[in-house]
Amino acid sequence: MVDILFIGLSLSSILLLVALGLAVTYGAMGIINMAHGEMVMIGAYTAVMANIWLGLGLIAAIPLAFAVTALAGLAIERLVVRRLYGRLLDTLLATWGIAILLQQAIRLEFGLSFFGIHIAGLGSGLQNVPVPGALQGTVQILGHDFNAYRIFIVAMTLILAAATWAVMYRTALGMKVRAIIRNPQMAAACGIDVQRTNALTFALGSGLAGVAGVLMAGFKTVAPDMGATLVVDGFMVVVTGGVGSLLGTVAASGLLGEFNALVAMATNDILGRAAVFAVVIGVILLKPAGLFTFKGR
Amino acid sequence: MAGLSNYRFWAYAGLAVLLLALPLVGDEFWLNRVAKYLCYGMLGAAVALTWGYAGVLNLGQGLFFGIGAYAMAMSLKLQSYTSLQQGSDTPVPDFMLWNAQPGAPTDLCCITPGSWIWLPFQWQWTGVIVAVILPAVLAGIMGRIIFGQRISGVFVSIITLALVLLVRLVVTDAQPLTNGFNGLTDLGWLTVFSHEFDPYAKGTYYLVAVALIAVLAAARILVATRAGTILQATRDSDTRALYLGYDVPAYQTFFFAVSAAIAGLAGMLYVIVSEFASPSFLELSFSITMVVWAAVGGRGSILGAAVGAILINMIEARVSETEALVEAWKAIIGILFVVTVIYLPKGLSGLAHDGMARLRARRPSFQLKEEAGQ
Repeated sequence: MVDILFIGLSLSSILLLVALGLAVTYGAMGIINMAHGEMVMIGAYTAVMANIWLGLGLIAAIPLAFAVTALAGLAIERLVVRRLYGRLLDTLLATWGIAILLQQAIRLEFGLSFFGIHIAGLGSGLQNVPVPGALQGTVQILGHDFNAYRIFIVAMTLILAAATWAVMYRTALGMKVRAIIRNPQMAAACGIDVQRTNALTFALGSGLAGVAGVLMAGFKTVAPDMGATLVVDGFMVVVTGGVGSLLGTVAASGLLGEFNALVAMATNDILGRAAVFAVVIGVILLKPAGLFTFKGR
Repeated sequence: MAGLSNYRFWAYAGLAVLLLALPLVGDEFWLNRVAKYLCYGMLGAAVALTWGYAGVLNLGQGLFFGIGAYAMAMSLKLQSYTSLQQGSDTPVPDFMLWNAQPGAPTDLCCITPGSWIWLPFQWQWTGVIVAVILPAVLAGIMGRIIFGQRISGVFVSIITLALVLLVRLVVTDAQPLTNGFNGLTDLGWLTVFSHEFDPYAKGTYYLVAVALIAVLAAARILVATRAGTILQATRDSDTRALYLGYDVPAYQTFFFAVSAAIAGLAGMLYVIVSEFASPSFLELSFSITMVVWAAVGGRGSILGAAVGAILINMIEARVSETEALVEAWKAIIGILFVVTVIYLPKGLSGLAHDGMARLRARRPSFQLKEEAGQ
């Protein structure tokens, strides 16, 4: 039973890793960023490239990936998303286009493959990143064996969640973001630079996705289309938890991850995932605003 | 002037004539491919009906397409001589034999758990009827629940998205019943009054082309009715429509169901043309791709969305003939989509409408000048 709960916890932590960034962008900005999964993918590729070209290990790649994806997010916000504020479904569609574009950019090595130039680490093939020796193998806690890397991911997820909370609730930027969540017009009237704050928020959300990508590169094969399913999962977590509620996102990822593990244990992996979708549908039907919501007007 | 004010009618008529005339210029192989794209055109129209006219973005339209496809494929599978006769006198689909428990009776009723569900499909018209009715009924139930709860906007998209992914997982998991990932292949032909619809014959192309024309005309007439006008009112302000006394969920549900039936029909025809049904119809990317077609063609126009779907697929087929361009084409689609959403929110049909409006605005002004000159 402890094993199953730990598998659930590890699934939850992955869901939360992806969902944290989405919680920030969707909750705060009302942007459905379908390219979020591709930010995870770019983060993972940053780890691959850092390993091949700079000889950096997995952990050293984390800040690098944060910087790369945050910049990519900033560029997307400036070029596309900025023109679409207030058109929620259109942001979904435009960022879906960006997602395809980013996948193809990696697959075609930014178009260089047409000229016969190949870059190690890119292309349509599968890549992987070696896990540091200290994180390999299992750790024994209270008579149970736990995969060391999974424990590392759970711990990193908790740290990132805490960091996100700190940014949102303990910094000036976070206060501006929360003001914008409540009422963008009023926030603007109070002198908050909404455009600038939104751009920074989008960069922050993308950066978090990049870090998630590095962590995922440690146990998953890295491929151009690895992000496509992640964004759906992450999005379901955010909506289930309640838009704009960080606590809700954490709770929903825990709920869905554990539920997935339990059903998968009782039946099989496919039905475990199916059960998660059923829970999401049920929650939205019963509580359309999500499990945790702040009182709006 | 009469011709210009009726340009919408002439656009529909022009497409109809064009579709019916295509067999004059192409061979059967090409027509078979075009027939598939016409099915996609139907999907585009179905998306435009809910998204453009009801303001409901259904990200799970593939569910209804998939139901239509699987229903038809089940019936056609049981019509296929090659896949039925392998190692058995009683007609049982081949994959069921492979998936059956040792010692299970070789009979459709009970060879694998739940295989009795295939029994009605021995009659080919069951497939045809279920393909259209089941999506409509399911959409009716979904609509009653979703719209009855006054759930709107992105939450409808999430529910429909989650549902299609849920069904995809269940279908792939039910390997003994659906052949899982492999889908249903090696199908027979639809037979109507002893005419067999060979997918590579002109008759099958005409079947699809006429169905598309009928669907487009019916959908266009439907949105021009009083009910269609009220639907558009609910899109623009559902609260106001509600306070004016209209049963908003009923209108939304009705059109949601109509759109589902169209998607089911498209799935059914697609199977007749392409001879397979697969869980890939239920993938997220397929459902979003339909929305892409509708957006490029014009979400606010049923004709535009259908034409968008057909055109994009025809270009894609042409481009994919050059191997180096296959991957590049996907990138182009991505760019096209971003550009359309930002600069052309009404799609190609919006562009056409604006062009026509400009043309019409110019004419009276000429007349006025002439009158003033006199």
